[in-house]
Amino acid sequence: MNLAVRDIRRHPGRFVLSCIGVGLMLTLVLSYGGIYNGFVQEALALINNTGADLWVVQRDTRGPFAEQSRMPEDVRYRIAIVPGVAEASPYLFYTIQREWQGRPLRIAVVGYDLHTGLGGPRRIVAGRGIAQGHYEMVADQKLRLPLGARLHLGQHDYTVVGQTRGLVGSGGDPVAFFTLADAQEIQFVKDNWAIRNQRERAQAAYTRALPTQPSLSARLARELADNPDVHTVNAILVRLAPGAQPQAVAREIGRWKYFSAYTTEQQSQLLLAGSVALARRQTSLFRMVLALTATVIIAQIIYTMTLEKLKPIALLKLMGAPTRTIVALVLQESLALGVVAYGVALLVGSLTYDKWPRLVLVGTADKLTLLAMVLGICVVASAMGIRRALQVEASAALSD
Amino acid sequence: MEVVRIEHLTKVYGSGHTAVTALREASLTAHDGELVAILGPSGSGKTTLLMAAAGIIEPTGGRITIGATALYDGGWLMRDRGRFRREHLGFIFQSHNLIPFLTARENVLMALQIRAVTGARAVRVAQELLDYLGVGDRQGHLPEQLSGGEQQRVAIARALANAPQVILADEPTAALDTERGQSVMALFRQIAREKGSAVICVTHDHRMVEGFDHVYRVKDGLVTNGPSGEDHRVPPAGTGGGVA
Repeated sequence: MNLAVRDIRRHPGRFVLSCIGVGLMLTLVLSYGGIYNGFVQEALALINNTGADLWVVQRDTRGPFAEQSRMPEDVRYRIAIVPGVAEASPYLFYTIQREWQGRPLRIAVVGYDLHTGLGGPRRIVAGRGIAQGHYEMVADQKLRLPLGARLHLGQHDYTVVGQTRGLVGSGGDPVAFFTLADAQEIQFVKDNWAIRNQRERAQAAYTRALPTQPSLSARLARELADNPDVHTVNAILVRLAPGAQPQAVAREIGRWKYFSAYTTEQQSQLLLAGSVALARRQTSLFRMVLALTATVIIAQIIYTMTLEKLKPIALLKLMGAPTRTIVALVLQESLALGVVAYGVALLVGSLTYDKWPRLVLVGTADKLTLLAMVLGICVVASAMGIRRALQVEASAALSD
Repeated sequence: MEVVRIEHLTKVYGSGHTAVTALREASLTAHDGELVAILGPSGSGKTTLLMAAAGIIEPTGGRITIGATALYDGGWLMRDRGRFRREHLGFIFQSHNLIPFLTARENVLMALQIRAVTGARAVRVAQELLDYLGVGDRQGHLPEQLSGGEQQRVAIARALANAPQVILADEPTAALDTERGQSVMALFRQIAREKGSAVICVTHDHRMVEGFDHVYRVKDGLVTNGPSGEDHRVPPAGTGGGVA
């Protein structure tokens, strides 16, 4: 006969409520781990999607995701002739925010070379890939842009021709793929109104500075205000020839003054060591605080439940019940509370994670870790109750 | 056969100026199948006597022997008194003291489980005891669903579960009306006769001790009616008994 089960059976409503409360807290503990896994998964998804072996970026910068890197587009041709390089392809990455049908859209824009395909979408879940040089885009499903939707960016409209799933930038913004030329244009090309406005402002300034040279003022103003050279990229992606050693090729490229080359592994580590590492510390701290809070709450619940049973416990002692019977009563109640709350956490998580704004990735290892944590928490939390129960004198059963 | 022998038992609570003597040289004996009453007003020391006999509180001096086991002789002689209690003693209390989250049957089963009697045998013994006490049809009810008299019968069934040599009852009728109280006392007589256990019953109600084999009176920690042949025993109240 299990005393813990019998005691719980007496107040099932209160026990269930306690389990739900603790369970929701455990959902958060589980979720914070899942959120971090999601960060990692999302951060690496774009890197893994490119299929590149090497990332060549502006010297001493950490690549297109961790920080800004700018380099001329034609560098690709110089890199392409390095021994061991099979293919070099320009890559552009930046974030924009636009409004579409009354709702804000944050988009991680990826521009890639259509001919090499490096850096472009590898798996289309609906529609097709970009097939023409301009005005087409492939959007991730998280952007909720249907196939055929037209989005005005810069000076042109772009049509959604395909969709990807689960591709977001390191900041969590869903990705949209464009041809390199389109992506450059969206980022750098000013519209005519902006050019005219800037020309007039510049000319006014130059005219004041050079009152005797009106034609020079006009030329300078045009040069300042007109569209700059848009042939700038953030990185050159490299696909290696069969048998080439990534480290050796990266070293070779790194000898040039203006570029740094990272393997995909290094690029992933750079990203994880940056913003994702910060998120990991943050979520770990939250998890720790929540685990401590759960321990305190479970301890309080178990202690209160023990206080309510002091008389029956004294009676059991009077009847000669061994200490292990008393310890088991308190400990089993604590474990039952923890295990049921753990079940609540799993249930709530599985029912809601796909509705969370960012990816929450909870694997079997995370679930087992939480279970071990919960069991540990329950044992620690029951200590106070057990101590109190063991302090009860058998004679207390005789007092009213 | 003598199953309880308490000799010159003293219990002093506190020390110095705050010392309170609860028992003074108390002596008492009980034989198997005997019904013994300890009669006295509240605070007289009768419950202290009972708890000391059960090994729950440590006396200050004297000797306690239960069956063939010397329990106390100026100090505890037995370390695992919990085990001793579960094997040799049964308890019945004023407020029934059933475990509130167990049914009547489970309360009896718990006492059996403590003695490592489990399974079908335990169920059968519990059923027999509850039937014996006339509450077999109430076995599935929680204590709060039972009347005071029924709860006390279940408590008695539980006390009998380990077939104890000695049953210690602390004011078992205090929470019952006279009729039910006398019914419980009649049960004690039946148990003493049929099961052979010695029943030591603490009470302040002299009406309840009719038919008891021996009645000890306690006042201010002093057992005024000894167990020896020096005529310290008194007949039950109402029959002209008193200190000889």
